[in-house]
Amino acid sequence: MLELQNVKFDVPDADAGGENPPRKTIVNDVSFTFKTGGFYAITGPNGSGKTSLAKLIMGINPLTSGKIVLNGKDISHLPIHERSNSGIVYGFQHPARFKGTTFRDLLSIAAGTDDEDRLARIIARVGVCSLDFLDKPVDSKLSGGEIKKIELATVIARNPKVAIYDEPDTGIDLWTIGPMVDLLKREQKENNTTTIVVSHNRAFLEAAETLLLIRNGKIAYAGELEGAMPMLEDLSVCTFSNTCEGENDVRCYR
Amino acid sequence: MLDATDKKILKEVAELEGIPKGAYNIRKNGKLLGREVSANINIATNEKGDGIVIDIKPGTRNESVHIPVILSQAGLHDTVYNTFIIGEDADVTIIAGCGIHCGGKESEGHSGIHEFQIKKGARVRYVEKHVAIGEGTGRRILNPTTKVFMEADAYAEMELTQLGGVDEARRVNEAVLGAGAALLMTERVMTEKDQMAESKNDIVLAGTDSKANVISRSVLKNNSVQDFYVNLTAKAKCYGHIECDAIIMDNGRNQTVPALRALHPDAEMTHEASIGKIANDQLMKLMSLGLDYDAAVNRIIQGFLR
Repeated sequence: MLELQNVKFDVPDADAGGENPPRKTIVNDVSFTFKTGGFYAITGPNGSGKTSLAKLIMGINPLTSGKIVLNGKDISHLPIHERSNSGIVYGFQHPARFKGTTFRDLLSIAAGTDDEDRLARIIARVGVCSLDFLDKPVDSKLSGGEIKKIELATVIARNPKVAIYDEPDTGIDLWTIGPMVDLLKREQKENNTTTIVVSHNRAFLEAAETLLLIRNGKIAYAGELEGAMPMLEDLSVCTFSNTCEGENDVRCYR
Repeated sequence: MLDATDKKILKEVAELEGIPKGAYNIRKNGKLLGREVSANINIATNEKGDGIVIDIKPGTRNESVHIPVILSQAGLHDTVYNTFIIGEDADVTIIAGCGIHCGGKESEGHSGIHEFQIKKGARVRYVEKHVAIGEGTGRRILNPTTKVFMEADAYAEMELTQLGGVDEARRVNEAVLGAGAALLMTERVMTEKDQMAESKNDIVLAGTDSKANVISRSVLKNNSVQDFYVNLTAKAKCYGHIECDAIIMDNGRNQTVPALRALHPDAEMTHEASIGKIANDQLMKLMSLGLDYDAAVNRIIQGFLR
């Protein structure tokens, strides 16, 4: 069970300028309990605080206030690697690109072994990336889709108790999204992995048992997808009709 | 004939567990320690007696030659002039390198002046490692010079590595490439404490369709200083690329100066250079896979210098 208790995250407001800029709240007093083995989707408009919330759980963003409790243990002040070793793993929205470090290196670190057979078994289990990826450097030459597949594999190789995937479908070809959803569901069922997916993609929202809609740093809705549909549809209504230049000019102000 | 220190150095610089198979020339403290030639690879002392000539017959395939240098005599500054002639259509690997063991207060140094004549269609992989070990306080100095002349369609892959221990290094690399020749040069240097390393590179793409790719990876720990200069000059329709990256760990200082000169309208040249600390997103990624900060830094540096 992963509990967020009155979790808050604020940063200096860069737009305000000055020596002591006011603080801007990114995640505002969020409380929620992720049940062990549940499948959750987090969605919401751009800039609403979804990624910031995910990074708070991993320890990449420091908590301003509140508490994060994993299976009864307060992990609010644990550094990233200790949270990872407690069972939380985060798949980055924009994965890091290295120079020289290969997929094999990352997978070996994640799996805690460099045994070829075991790495091959992980790749087979993940299914979406081929074995020839192993010795590819994880650098800027990889395509957006390739690096996201590698990111996914490194998360799964950790056998996480809580897996957080931040927009796992970015750059992924359409015909891989279905298998990716199946994979996350399979991992959830077989290993009882608490699965949290930050996404705008309907395939992930439909796969989730519970949907969290984040707006302005708060949970605006938590429940089944169906109940969120009116709000999601509302979010998709354009409020820039006054400035819209129509079909003749594709520039969009949203 | 090899003592424990010699064996350790040979392992470090040439990954040798003892005397190598095939052709070799081992130099220790300015003198010949052992030499073996093969049917296709001849090694002879040069006319002046200040180095060797390694002559590889045309068409020699899948052979290697080891030419390590061991330095363990306090106060000795050894300079050698070696010439490599790689015959037409040969395909060989040359493992060079110098290991200094410093046990006292006096400095020790080695300057290896290497000239390569790579004949038409020949391919060579040249691996050079520099290391310095020992408890002594004397400065360990390595000043290599490498000059490469490549005929038409010759191919050379040069890996030049110096990972710690060397107090002063002044390297000069020069290459002239004929038509269709290709050079891939990778330099990896890690300095620490108050060490300094300088590398000056001058590559001339003289022949049509010649190609050069110069890669430099630098890691600067503590107060060390590294300067890297490369001039890539195109005199024909050719392709050249420079990629230099430096990671500053502590209070290191670095200058990276890549220069491109196109003296021909069909030259295609690019460069990329970066100096900075280890990228935060790389650290976060490895820490999110369970490594603590120090282990994450080590893994990133290991990969970077590989």
